Amino acid sequence: MAGIMELLGMALGTFLIFSTLSMLYKDNVFFRVGQMAVMGSSIAHFILYNMKNVYNNAWTPLMNGDIMMIIPLILGLLMYTRLRRSTAWLARYPSSVLVGIGTGVMVAGTVSGQILDQIAVTMTDVLNWNTSGGSLINAIIIAVGVVTSITFFVFTKEHTGVVGKSASIGRKFLMISLGANWSGELVWYLTQLVGRLMYIKNFVTALMGG
Amino acid sequence: MSVLSKLGKIDYRWLYITSLILTAIPLVYPIGLSVTLSQPVKDYYSAIQDLPEGSVIAVSFGGSASLLDEQEAQFLATWKTIFSLGHKVLFYSTTEDGPMILQDHLGDKVKPEDYGYTYGEDYVELGFSPLGEPGEASFAANIRGVYAADKYGTPLDDLPMMVDINDYSGIDLLMFQYTACTSIEWVVRQWSVPYQTKVIATTLGCCGPMAAPYYPSQIEGFLSGSGAGTELEVLSGNPGPGAAMSDSKSIGILPQLVFIAFGNIAYFANKYMKKEDDQ
Repeated sequence: MAGIMELLGMALGTFLIFSTLSMLYKDNVFFRVGQMAVMGSSIAHFILYNMKNVYNNAWTPLMNGDIMMIIPLILGLLMYTRLRRSTAWLARYPSSVLVGIGTGVMVAGTVSGQILDQIAVTMTDVLNWNTSGGSLINAIIIAVGVVTSITFFVFTKEHTGVVGKSASIGRKFLMISLGANWSGELVWYLTQLVGRLMYIKNFVTALMGG
Repeated sequence: MSVLSKLGKIDYRWLYITSLILTAIPLVYPIGLSVTLSQPVKDYYSAIQDLPEGSVIAVSFGGSASLLDEQEAQFLATWKTIFSLGHKVLFYSTTEDGPMILQDHLGDKVKPEDYGYTYGEDYVELGFSPLGEPGEASFAANIRGVYAADKYGTPLDDLPMMVDINDYSGIDLLMFQYTACTSIEWVVRQWSVPYQTKVIATTLGCCGPMAAPYYPSQIEGFLSGSGAGTELEVLSGNPGPGAAMSDSKSIGILPQLVFIAFGNIAYFANKYMKKEDDQ
């Protein structure tokens, strides 16, 4: 049986769920209260965790003599200079470092993992004599989809003739792909609704002593 | 106004109310619709099951409180599967909510100790670090460079399980859990390509199509959405929240499909009739 504090917590959660769902009817004060409560607590949680992270990974080692930790700390602090227009230009330095490291880390893996390997796996099944039946049809659909979709993004040649036909087919593949993404999104939203309804059901059950 | 025009102008709140009612009914009266297992889920399960007992699985944990309804079935079924097979687990959180969710899971819902696990010897929690892609690269190259201590502040060298685990070479399988769809590319670029580490992934339903191109060549299996979590529950014989959700989702989606169909019929019919009128 749930304790009083647990019941109170569940009641608050249920109130926030109803507040959020009330937006489906129209904007109202309960929705705004619920929205602000969730955003406020989330932001507080994120700030605290990230401060703790800076403390553990940079400040503590610095205090223990790891002088190099002064670099990320200064770069991090420079980010806040954008809060004043006259010093905002200083924030470009940490941004540049972040972009530079991000790009450098990414490039090698991109060429091999996302271009060469993907081309290889796209064509392997089509060109493999042992591929047959459904697998071959799948492989051909994928290969055609990849080639025609890429053609859609060729902007240096007018989309007429063969290129135009290919781009038109590619557009269909892209639409199917976006449809698949969207259906996943729709089911995701439904899952969130089911999850919240289960929460309310559990609260009612707990309230009745279940 | 024609019937088709009326169909196209139905108040969208009817959709919400019918969805709500149809979603709620199976929660009160479960129907028990069957679950079909998909190949990526079977391969995800096999990747864990085929590891020799005592193998080390690193879990890059991207759990999020606001998305937990979509993820929890995947997580709980995965933990139960891993623990029942006796693999060692190294958890590291890449989201701020991660440690809180793991605490709830490992401290209450799926206690490793119930499977004979001991903290520090069979599993370790490293806590949160905002890794991103460069962080994943650093972690793979040198774990101690990112985490000098576990989440309780114990130096990694003082934890028996961590003595021989310094980098990617000490990890037999990486389980990558993420919520931003393009993050799957991080693991391909920083684990699969440079080290050929075996990788499996779990993500949201909407991110599945973006993970699919990397399966099975670069990721051995993946779970996409709570539906895949339900499949894993069935496959591993560990029922959980996914099973309870399954009926509601299957029924609750029906009004949306009907509305999409009606909306499209009304749109194209109106377009056709307008054309006829113009002629």
